Amino acid sequence: MSEDSQRTAEQAAAFQKIWVDSVTKTMQTLFTFNPEAVPPEIARQIRRGILEALAKSWDEFMRSPQFLEGMKQWMDQAVTFRKMSNDFVATARSEMQATSRDDIDTVMLTVRHMEKRILDRVDELATQVADLSNRVGHSPGNRQAAPANPARKRRRTPRQRQGAH
Amino acid sequence: MNPGTSSTNPWLQWQKAAMDETLAAVGRMSHWPLLLEKARHVRKGVTPSETVYEEDRLKLRHFISDGEPRFRTPLVFIYALVNRPYILDLKQGRSVVAHFVEQGFDTYLVDWGVPLNADRHLTLDDYINGYMVNVLDFLRQRSGTDKVNILGYCMGGTMSAMFTALHPDCVQNLILLAAPIDFSSQDGLLNLWTRPEYFDVDRFVDAFGNAPAQFLQSIFLLLRPVGNLIEKPINFYEHMHEDKFLDDFLTTESWLNDNIPVPGEVYRQFVKFLYQQNLLTQNRMPVGKRIVNLKNITCPVLNIMASQDDLVPCSQGTPFTDLVGSTDRRTILLQGSGHIGLAIGGRAQREVWPQACEWLAQRTS
Repeated sequence: MSEDSQRTAEQAAAFQKIWVDSVTKTMQTLFTFNPEAVPPEIARQIRRGILEALAKSWDEFMRSPQFLEGMKQWMDQAVTFRKMSNDFVATARSEMQATSRDDIDTVMLTVRHMEKRILDRVDELATQVADLSNRVGHSPGNRQAAPANPARKRRRTPRQRQGAH
Repeated sequence: MNPGTSSTNPWLQWQKAAMDETLAAVGRMSHWPLLLEKARHVRKGVTPSETVYEEDRLKLRHFISDGEPRFRTPLVFIYALVNRPYILDLKQGRSVVAHFVEQGFDTYLVDWGVPLNADRHLTLDDYINGYMVNVLDFLRQRSGTDKVNILGYCMGGTMSAMFTALHPDCVQNLILLAAPIDFSSQDGLLNLWTRPEYFDVDRFVDAFGNAPAQFLQSIFLLLRPVGNLIEKPINFYEHMHEDKFLDDFLTTESWLNDNIPVPGEVYRQFVKFLYQQNLLTQNRMPVGKRIVNLKNITCPVLNIMASQDDLVPCSQGTPFTDLVGSTDRRTILLQGSGHIGLAIGGRAQREVWPQACEWLAQRTS
């Protein structure tokens, strides 16, 4: 038997086991009730028992290596399909001389790289200014003159708004 | 037939119950038209608020109280990047925000907004050392205080812990609500599903960009398939004629189905560094150019968890108080409650939030 078919057989066996377990536990639940009990209450008890048995069986199943392997295969297929569709759209856009996601990504990453370099440089300058301020006698606690923590970034000019919504 | 005999005959009782149930079902079905109308007018958030600061997609909301705040030090809620933050202010009688506003705290909430495809390159560094630093600088300037109180929920709690460790001079008190810190535990299904041998996060993010909202919602549904896909609809069917139940159900479901994508790089870092490598508890978690050391957290910390939390099991949150450098630390564990119940559940409203308000009031100027 090939490895793939063996894996499929294992997954099928695990799936069969969860249903057998569920039915067994459900039947066990059914036989624990008193037939003299008031009908709606006994019906609720039976239902609660069945659902608890099902929940337990499913939780066990979703922790099983077979389920995890099945989920991995499903994810791999979803990712492969997404990549294929991305490639197809990129090719179509390229043929039409339109901007593709890769082009936008490249621009975005370039901008972010530049931003990072500028912010790093600003941090260094802030540290130097803080040192200089301290040397000429400015209060080191004055954050406007000397930022206490140069690793903090002022990313963009914040907008302040007023007015309830 | 003897009436005394008929009342104890189980078959007659079953018949009567079946008839009653049929009539009740007809009564319930008559509520369908009203239900659709109500679902269209679900209110999101109850406490009046104003937006006081914006940056990119982030909005900082300030909650307006009737009188002047009792405490000068502001309190800011940091919500997760998954879902919308109005769960913390869902409705009358089920609002965490309202508790703090009524107790006189100057309360704010960070609404991260909905990331677009262009935001897929944003990292934890951008959120923690960028947006959060800017929000706290703004709040300190606005309130004239040196420090701010932080309450972080779920993933927002993890981010708040990282922020406090990196910028301890900004935080007066830290409250974590169902925040995952120690990812070594295998109690939660998410920890199993994200193991490196089963989930290649790099391939996923490279292909999808942002983690899609539908994907995240499916995963959350799968955490409790019987509860979410069988028990919940049955419960709804049985109580759909009750106005109070319907109102609670619609507001909660509206929020649960209001998922948003998570920026791709943040998702990659969260899965890889936390779920797969558990770097935060080892004090090796990189955020930008810096490494998070939880021992740097020396402010008072309050860690709130729920015993029945499927998303963030207690074993993920409990170690936090042992990992920080604080001497003033407390844990509240709400028995029998789940992840969302911790914010909106009736018992949480009665038992947890008054305690949390008192704890914070004792430590706030």
